[in-house]
Order: sequence, then C-alpha cells, then structure tokens
Amino acid sequence: MRRRLGIFRWRAVGPLLLFLVLLLGLWLIFADTLARRGAQSSLSTLLGTEVDIASLRIRETDAAIDLGGLAIADPRDPRRNLLEAGTITLNLDPLPLAEKKLVIDQFRLSGLRFLTTRATPARPAEPGSPAGQLLAETRAWARDKFQGPSLALGRIDTLKQLVLHPDQLQSLRAATGLAARADSVEAGYQQGLAQLQLGPLLDSSTSLVPRLAATDPKQLGLAGTQQAVSAVRQTIDRVRQARSGLTGLEQVTRTGLAGLQRGFGDVQTARERDYATARGLMQLPSLDAPSIGAALFGQESTDYFQQALYYGRVAQRYVPPGLQPWNRPGPSRTRRRGTTVEFPREHEYPGFLLRQGEIDVATGATGQNQFSAAVAGISSQPALYGRPATLSGRGSLGGAQPVNLDLAMVSRHFGDHPADSLGARIDGVNLPPIAIPSLPLSVRPGPSRVSFSFALTGDRLAGHWQVDARQASWQADSAPPAGGSPVAELVWQAVRGLTTLQVRADLGGTIEQPTLSVRSNLDDAIAARLQALAGEALVRATARARAAVDQLAGPKLTALEGRLQGLTSQVASRVPAEAGRLNEVERRLQGELKRLAGSAVGGISLPKL
Amino acid sequence: MLTLLKLLQSLFQTLHSEGTPGQVAAGLMLGAGIGLSPILAGHNLLLFAALILLNVSFGGGMLGLALFTPLGFLLDPILDRVGLALLHAPALQGLWRAGYNVPLVPYTGFNNSVILGSLVGWLALALPLFLGGRRAIAAYRVRYGERVLNSRFMKGLKASKVYNVYTWFRPE
Repeated sequence: MRRRLGIFRWRAVGPLLLFLVLLLGLWLIFADTLARRGAQSSLSTLLGTEVDIASLRIRETDAAIDLGGLAIADPRDPRRNLLEAGTITLNLDPLPLAEKKLVIDQFRLSGLRFLTTRATPARPAEPGSPAGQLLAETRAWARDKFQGPSLALGRIDTLKQLVLHPDQLQSLRAATGLAARADSVEAGYQQGLAQLQLGPLLDSSTSLVPRLAATDPKQLGLAGTQQAVSAVRQTIDRVRQARSGLTGLEQVTRTGLAGLQRGFGDVQTARERDYATARGLMQLPSLDAPSIGAALFGQESTDYFQQALYYGRVAQRYVPPGLQPWNRPGPSRTRRRGTTVEFPREHEYPGFLLRQGEIDVATGATGQNQFSAAVAGISSQPALYGRPATLSGRGSLGGAQPVNLDLAMVSRHFGDHPADSLGARIDGVNLPPIAIPSLPLSVRPGPSRVSFSFALTGDRLAGHWQVDARQASWQADSAPPAGGSPVAELVWQAVRGLTTLQVRADLGGTIEQPTLSVRSNLDDAIAARLQALAGEALVRATARARAAVDQLAGPKLTALEGRLQGLTSQVASRVPAEAGRLNEVERRLQGELKRLAGSAVGGISLPKL
Repeated sequence: MLTLLKLLQSLFQTLHSEGTPGQVAAGLMLGAGIGLSPILAGHNLLLFAALILLNVSFGGGMLGLALFTPLGFLLDPILDRVGLALLHAPALQGLWRAGYNVPLVPYTGFNNSVILGSLVGWLALALPLFLGGRRAIAAYRVRYGERVLNSRFMKGLKASKVYNVYTWFRPE
C-alpha cells in the first residue's frame, strides 16, 4: 500500500526562518552599500556621467538617509566634477516607501562646490545608454546646426578652381521639388479647364442666340414659346455654372501660384546658402561684423547652449508631462536590464518627489559665504504633484573678491507644453580662457560679469549668454601668431592691447532650426582690418564661388522662374478672357429671353429669373 | 569544471533520491522558475519558500536552478520582448496601474520587462516541465536506475558530507 505523502515539509520551517533571519542580517550589514551603489548607478544612468557617492547611511528609525561626498562628473570633461556636495540629509515620508516610491519631505545639502578637479578621470556614459545617446545627439546637433564661420584665411589669390557637384547644392534640390509642385498646379489648372468644357458651351450658346432671334413668338404659339424659354433658361444656367466653376478654378490656381512664388523665394534662399557653402569650401571668411563675432565666440556660446539643451532633453526624457505609462531603463544587473514601466495614477504618490530642500554652498572659510538656495517640487511625475519644479539661489561666495551669484530655474512638465528654463547671473567670476577657433589665440577674461539664460519649451529654444570683462588679457599660442598667417597677425594686432571684452550670444528658433547670433566689442575693429587686408581678393574669390554655384544652378533656376511667370500670365490672361466670353453670351441670352417673355400671347406668367 | 561536477552530482543525487518522480519534477519546476528569473525578482522568494516548505525534491529544485539559469541568460532578449509587450498591452493597463500603486507589490519588480517576461515564460513552461519531467524520471529509474545506483561513483557520492546536507531536504 502506498504511503500518503504530506504536502508540507514542516521540519524545513526552521531552516527557512533561519534563512530569512540571515537575509535580514545581510540587509542590515549591506543595505547601505547596496543603496549607495544603486543610487550611483541610477544617477549615472540618468545624468549620463559618472556619479560617485562616498558614503550612504540609512537611518531606518528616523526614516532618513545621510549621503556624503557626492560628486557629479562633467559629461564634457572627465577630469573635473560639475559639482561636489559635502553632506546631504534626506528626510523621507515613510508611507510611500511601501509602494517603492521615494518621497523626500526635506532635503538639506551643505558644502557644495563647483567645477572641482577629479582625482581620477570619470567614466564616460555608455554610448548605447539613453543618456549616452542623448549626449551624442546633442553634440551632433551643435556640430551640424552651428557651423560658425571661420577666420582661418589661406592665401586667397592661390586658391584652386572650385569644383562643385550638383548634389551639394540645396537650391537644385529645392528647384526640383518646386518644379514638381508647378507640374501639379499646372495639371490641376488644365484639368479644371477641360472639365468646364467652355469651348462647346460657348459655341452652342452663341449659336442659340441667332436662332432665337430668328423666331417669332406669335408663330411659335404658347407651347412653343414655353419650350423656347425653357431652353434659354437651361442654357443660361449652364453658362452661370461654368462661370462659377471658372471663378473657383481661378482661386485655386492663384493660391497654388502664390505657394509657388513663395517656394521660389525659398529656392533663392537656398541659393544664398549654396553661395555660403561654396565660400566655405574655398575657406573664405565672411568679413561682416556679425560673422566676426560668430567666428570668435560662436564655439564658446554653442558649448554653453549645447550643455543646457542636453539637460533640458534629459528632463524631457525622464520627466513625462502626463500620466501615461513611462519607460525607464531597468536596474543594472548581470542579466539584461530590460525596461521598467511606471504606471502613475491620479491621487497617488509619484515615483519620486522632493517636496523642498535647502542648499548651503560652502567654499573657503564658512564666514566668507553668504549663499543659500532652495529647491522644491522635483518629481518624476509632475502631473501628479501639479506644481513646477523650482530652484532659486542668491548670495555671494569668497571673501576678498566675492563672486555674486543669482540663479533661478523652473521646470514645468505638465499641461500641454512642457517647459524648462534657467537663468543665472554671476558677477566677479574668473572664467577659464576662451580659445579662438582656427586661430592660435586665446583670451583670459579675468573677473567677469556673466549672465546666461536658456529656455526649452516643447521644441522651441530661447536663450542668451553674455560676458562683460574689464580685465581681459589676450595670449598668442605661438610667436608670431600662426607662424605668419596674415589673419592671425591682424587679429592679434587688433586685440593684443584690449582689456575690455564684451560678448553676447542669442539663441532662438527651434531644435530643428535654431538661430544663433553672436556679437562682441571686437567685431567692427577686426572686420575693418580684415576688409583692408583681404577685401579685394576676397571679393574676387567670393565672385568665383557665386559663379560656380550659378553655373550649375543658374540655368535650372532661370527656367523655373520663366515657367512660373508663364503659368502666372497664362492664368492672368485666359481666365478673364473666358469669363468675358461667358458674360457676353449670357447677356445676349438674357436679351432673347426678355423678348420671348415680353411678346408671349395671353399674358403668360413666367417665373422670375 | 567544478560547476559541471556539481551539476552532475546534483543530477544523479536527484534522479536517485527517495522522492517520487512527481516530487522531483515539482522541485525541478520550482527551481526552473528561480533560474529563469533575475535573482532579485520578488516572486523568487515565494518560489524558494515553496521549494523548502512544500514536500517536493529540493535536489530537483537545485537541478532546475542549475539548468535554467544559463537558459534564462540565453532567453533574455525574448523574455524582455514578451514582458514589454504585456506591460504595453492596452487591455492590461488597468491591472498594471492597480498593481503599481498597491503597497509591497512594486517590490516584486513585475513592472520590469525581463522579470515579467521570465515569470510568464516560466508559467507557460511549468506544467509541461512537471509532466514531462515526471515521466522522464520514472522511465529513467526503471531502465537505468539500479545500474547507476550500484556504480562506484554513486557510492562515493552517498558517502560524502555533501550528501548528508542534501538529505535534510530529502522528500519524506
């Protein structure tokens, strides 16, 4: 007989409890380390740069966490930290922890320092990670969208003949597209005319008039007159319908033509860009003042905006505006990370919320610093919290030569249009040297007043970067600069004695089509000197660049322009002519109709026309 | 090499344990669940507790763990896709949303594509694994069991201390 087996193995309860106690013990021993590594990993993934935390202590009884030695590396320069924080205390709301949600009631940070040198270079973000991809995309964006003019000027008179390929010319591509649109407009116009069948209608209507004129209503009798009147009315209706159709066709065609004219304007703009491309291929500098500003400080300005855009896009990526499920990379582990999906619900806690915090900045002796900042409302699901994230700070740092700092940040990621904006003004800061692209020169601004603003609203960009330095000094990286390059020598002569540096860059447009204008106090002086040095040769070289473009694009653009003009004049002449013929035949038909109706016997009551 | 030896040891110990083929197959099934999932998946704790508390073969569980852990790594891309498809399925949004906001449930990691995919993958495999395993073990014992049991290898294995530890969890 088979022995009946029990379901439970009761004697294993002891080892299981022992195992659970062991797990608890291991948690108590290693929780701090695990949490620290988890926080490092999550923050590194989020920010796309190495984040180090020297210590982390969980105070279970106080529902608080103490962090020490937080260091966030600069994604652009692995040898320095963007910021270091001495101590951070987080007071948690314990209830949301049951739902694996982190709600920080109060956050206190002290000992904040900026742009410190790292002991060991930071690990770069993994290229395949979301943050790594964002970083690469933002770099590519800055490289592609802001190809600033160069001041590197070769010997213009010895330039080889410029050879362009049609594929390089935007104007040719635009013209091809516009020609296809012109085909479509013209085909629509011709098809509309054909459908109206104006010729047969006019012929039949015109031939009807003399036939009617030859008839006598008295001889036709009542029935014959009624038939004749009915035939005339039908013909008049057809004429009116045709005129109405012609008017509609004219409106549609004129709208299409207006679009084509605008398109031709775009083609001309593309041709201007082609001229610039050709100039770029010949390495010809632009000598107007705005171009000088962009050539000198465009790169530096772009770096600031690029960095701000990166963090703006990180915020857009990780802080969703609505309550839809949101994908985030899973936790780092030996197995595949996968995707962790968050499912926010109204009236519940967000996955992460920092209600409010205080930041106390300390550099040097404590008494020298009077700076404090406040942060509030930072959330992973702002729609649940319903208020924007804010950061504001004001104060001064340092003793003998204090740096005054005033900053504000607002991140509003709920509603229809998520928006992030940052504004900062720093007075007395020693900026690092600014290298001039393509030239062996750099400027050390010295104590400066710097202001910066950046706003990303949807895909719209706005911002500015401004420097005002009164103790600037210029350095040449070689003597003589550029080994005798005329431009380098000229710029060096223009700037070597200057101690004032004023630069302003303005960013606008959209991410796809950004605009950047850069002006400095050096632009006019350098532009004038460059004009004097190379103006004539440059004009000749520029003419050659334009000629190279015109040789390829000119015939097609001229033909296109002629075709647009022809189509416009065709519509302008034919439509009124056809309308006039229709009006004339209607007028004559109306005359015959009156005659027939007026001479009808027996007072026939005709309906009003 | 050591891992392979341990696997062999586990295999023979399990096949010749005193548990019924059903007990061994049930242990194998539970161990497969643990092996197929990432180690810190919340449901692993339940599976492990079941493996210990239920009268199933612990050795079978260890065998399942040893066999299905590498399989889990291999199947990760598929499990990830399955999990993500389920997490994004419109019909299941209410369920996930409710689970995400219930205390303790988020700690299971159900909202991670790999964990959910591995759990679902295991649920799909569990019954065939149990039935197939039970039949295979029964067939093995009838055809080869006696011969292997009397081999020098098994005698040496039984005499070792490892075997003594194993017997703590031997099915009753």
